[in-house]
Amino acid sequence: MGNKISTFTPEQLEAYEDCTFFTSKEILHIFSRYQALAPDKVPYDMTGKEAQTVRIAHDVILTMPELKENPFKDQICKVFSEEGSGHMTFEEFLDMFSVFSEAASRDIKSVYAFKIYDWDGDGNLNRSDLEATLLKLTQDGLTQDEKNFVVDKVLEEADLDDDGMLSYVEFEHVISRAPDFLNTFHVRI
Amino acid sequence: MSHPYQNTGDFDTIPMHQLIVPVNPAFQSASLERQSALPPDGTHYEFATYGYPETRAHLEPPGPELHRGGFRSLHRTQTTDNRYGDNRETKDDIAMENLLKRLPSRQLESAANNAAKTLHRRHSRNKSRHGAIYHSTLRDGDLEDMIGSSSLLDADEEERVEEAIRSTPATMATRRSMIQKLSSRKRKSPGFMKRMNYSIGMGWKHFKDNMAELKYTMQLWHSHLKKIEGHFGTNVLSYFVFLKWLLLINIPTLLLTLGFIVAPQIIYRWLQQDTLGYISSEKFSGMELLTGAGWFEPTELYYGYYTNKTIQVIGSKSYKMQVAYLFTCGGYYLLTIIILGQSILSSYRKYYIEAGGFQSMQIVFKVLCSWDHGLTSAEAVKLKHKSVYLEFKEYLAGANKDKMRKTMIDRCKLFWLRVFTNVVVLVLIGASGYLVFYLSGTQLNRNTLFSNQTTSAAGVSTNETKNPWLLLVLPLCIGLIHRIMPIMFDFIEGYEQYEIPKSELYMHLSRSMVLRVTTLSVLVIYWYTEVSQSPDVPCWETFMGQELYRLVIVDFIFTLFSTLISELIRRLLVGRVKRVTHPTFALARNTLELIYSQALCWLGTFFAPLLSLIVIIKLIIIFYIKMISVLQNCKPSERPWRATWSHTIFLGYLFLFYLLTTVAVACGIIFIKPSIGCGPYQGKDVMYSVVPELVDSWKEEYAWISTVIYFVSSPGFIAAILVALGMGVYMIRTIMMGRQEAVQRLKQQLVLEGKDKTFLLNLLNQVTERHTCTSVSTTVRPLTQQISPQDDIVSPGGRVFVRSLAESTLGGR
Repeated sequence: MGNKISTFTPEQLEAYEDCTFFTSKEILHIFSRYQALAPDKVPYDMTGKEAQTVRIAHDVILTMPELKENPFKDQICKVFSEEGSGHMTFEEFLDMFSVFSEAASRDIKSVYAFKIYDWDGDGNLNRSDLEATLLKLTQDGLTQDEKNFVVDKVLEEADLDDDGMLSYVEFEHVISRAPDFLNTFHVRI
Repeated sequence: MSHPYQNTGDFDTIPMHQLIVPVNPAFQSASLERQSALPPDGTHYEFATYGYPETRAHLEPPGPELHRGGFRSLHRTQTTDNRYGDNRETKDDIAMENLLKRLPSRQLESAANNAAKTLHRRHSRNKSRHGAIYHSTLRDGDLEDMIGSSSLLDADEEERVEEAIRSTPATMATRRSMIQKLSSRKRKSPGFMKRMNYSIGMGWKHFKDNMAELKYTMQLWHSHLKKIEGHFGTNVLSYFVFLKWLLLINIPTLLLTLGFIVAPQIIYRWLQQDTLGYISSEKFSGMELLTGAGWFEPTELYYGYYTNKTIQVIGSKSYKMQVAYLFTCGGYYLLTIIILGQSILSSYRKYYIEAGGFQSMQIVFKVLCSWDHGLTSAEAVKLKHKSVYLEFKEYLAGANKDKMRKTMIDRCKLFWLRVFTNVVVLVLIGASGYLVFYLSGTQLNRNTLFSNQTTSAAGVSTNETKNPWLLLVLPLCIGLIHRIMPIMFDFIEGYEQYEIPKSELYMHLSRSMVLRVTTLSVLVIYWYTEVSQSPDVPCWETFMGQELYRLVIVDFIFTLFSTLISELIRRLLVGRVKRVTHPTFALARNTLELIYSQALCWLGTFFAPLLSLIVIIKLIIIFYIKMISVLQNCKPSERPWRATWSHTIFLGYLFLFYLLTTVAVACGIIFIKPSIGCGPYQGKDVMYSVVPELVDSWKEEYAWISTVIYFVSSPGFIAAILVALGMGVYMIRTIMMGRQEAVQRLKQQLVLEGKDKTFLLNLLNQVTERHTCTSVSTTVRPLTQQISPQDDIVSPGGRVFVRSLAESTLGGR
């Protein structure tokens, strides 16, 4: 091993392994992707507090091929970064890909899916959230009438307590019935 | 339930102010005074009645009422369109909103934590030490409590706590501190048993971690799969993932046959210096790769070459080839059924049981789950947008269409039409079966011309008219039948007027599958009955192995050609010839071909032990060819395709094929007399007779084993097991029905709770307005001050909350 600089201490790696759904090799692979985004900003040696302090800017992260074409990319970065700024530390970056990985449980994926669809961040999906989601999905293809109809139908099906918006428990109830959700909410890195 | 769009039928001309939407009832009640300010255009306000007559007196203006028991028809004119002026929210609305924000069900973090804790199952990479698939819930309360408590956790519970921490939607820093707290807890030294449990548990966990690492480094084709997923999405990806999975399940089969059958044979040959096979006079020409005959015939590739002797290896240790051959065969079939059974059950559970009742939620799934986050190429993303847009349009069109009920006559006609077409299909399949039978008959004659299984010392082929192409006639015809018949089925299905494209697809797949099953069974029956009795074929097992080898190779060639034609040539023709559309990847047809080739492998491995190696090589080549073809030639399809439950259906087909092939091979082992001159079972009555002989031979040394086996295979014992299994199934089914009913009741309860909540909130609002002399805002502000911010996250249940609020309101008069 000699003079080789280790990126993380073994304790750090073990903590990351325990906290995320990745093995240590995958964590190192993700670190190499993170560093490749901003090689001058991210040091090789992350044994100190760098994993929590060094941030890569929002627009640099969005140049990643995995995120570049995703219509929800801004919201994704916002959800996983602290204070919604979009600038991500390595830990937040790792967290993001851990949630999107294949091994992540359905619950944690549904929590973050809820946060991503919650555009105004108020803790539930109201009409404007659903309409914004529709807008992103169809790239402004549907008329306002059609959007209203679809949102009505969604609320009719999913809103169990009839308050006009979807709370997290209602969302989770729907998502746990969806066969596709685990497959589509998945980014390979 | 009526809806305005269904009534008017003309979607686009509904005036904006007549759109009625269910809204937050808080808005509704708080703005009751403003109803007079709304344009008196005769819009009908429908209010619904509750079943609470005694409270009506409290509700002075027309309060919120339920309409016919359906809570959904609370109406009000639309708010989301800002045409009517912007700020409708008065201070009442803001105050009510603040109140609502404090409700526990609105707190995302606490709701998510609750959901994570009371989960009924988890998908976890780390299964518990006993390999259980389900984790029980954390019964001991809060996660923090568990970590903070001083009680010991053994390895099992600690693992579950770790798993729970992983699924907590907190930031990484929080989770790390939780893990640190967990690991830094002082453990008093446990007793011996506990320590052993713990060390075994930790050892197992380390082993699993290492396996996971190994799996990651050896990941096959990861970058290729990623590229395909980026360009085409999860649908096309599912074909390639299925291919990879088939490859991986063939590997244990190969290892077993290599280790227990082929290797001993090679050792035997080396020991004996026996050159019984490998006739040096036959030169290896390239045709052998296609036909599998000639030079390949007396080699380890086929059953006929294997010895029936007991191989004396080292000193007195002997290796009975007969026993080994049979038991290895049983071993890999058993292994395969375990793997298949596990994967089909997990897929069924994931996609059918958990997704029960998904029929009604289609639109919700379309909005919330239809985006495929794995797509990375710009073109694919654009097409996906278009596909999603088309889906929505289709849904909107379908929702508006008035389904015309077919008249009785129409339905009768359709029924008889479908009966007729099914009869036609069956006739076609029967005709193909007869054709195969006829060809096999003539094939037998042709094969005797070609057979070089010379027992004579001459070793020189005497027949100059030997033409290897004759051997390929049967496989080529079968291949053609399998490719052309589905086209005819497609043509017939055009007349059958299926409404749902999905059922048409499944009908088509079932018919193709029945066709292939028919041809294969005709072949197998022919081989077992005619060929094994025929004096012209000295070694029918080798013959069967050869035929299957040829089928595999010809199937491979046909796959290559069909890829070429349907994808490459179509792409080249797109611009030039009109009416030729861009090729898309035909997922169903390709998957069915994979399943068929796997069935051939299972059928043939007993008679040609190295066939699994050949199928593995074939799968690898097909992967690369298909991948290159898809990336170069195909465009992503615009039609949506639910890859998940079709995956279960394909696994079901695979399992069916597996069962049929196992039954076929078992029949061959148990009923058909093995050939006299070749193979491990020369001279026996049936191949299976090895097993009773083995059990009998144990009578001398291990008498108890043979008594146990006799007991277990006695009819009474088997009958008892069958009865017990039947009762177990019935019991589990009863439990399942009970649980379904419980789920229904809970759903109804949930709706009622929602109604309760809204009623109580409105009541609270009324009470608040009533009991304050000053304006609402000044009353509400002290309320919000009274509730401290800490209570936000962990607040008590809804009713307690409302009661305490009401008390504070009444108290603060």
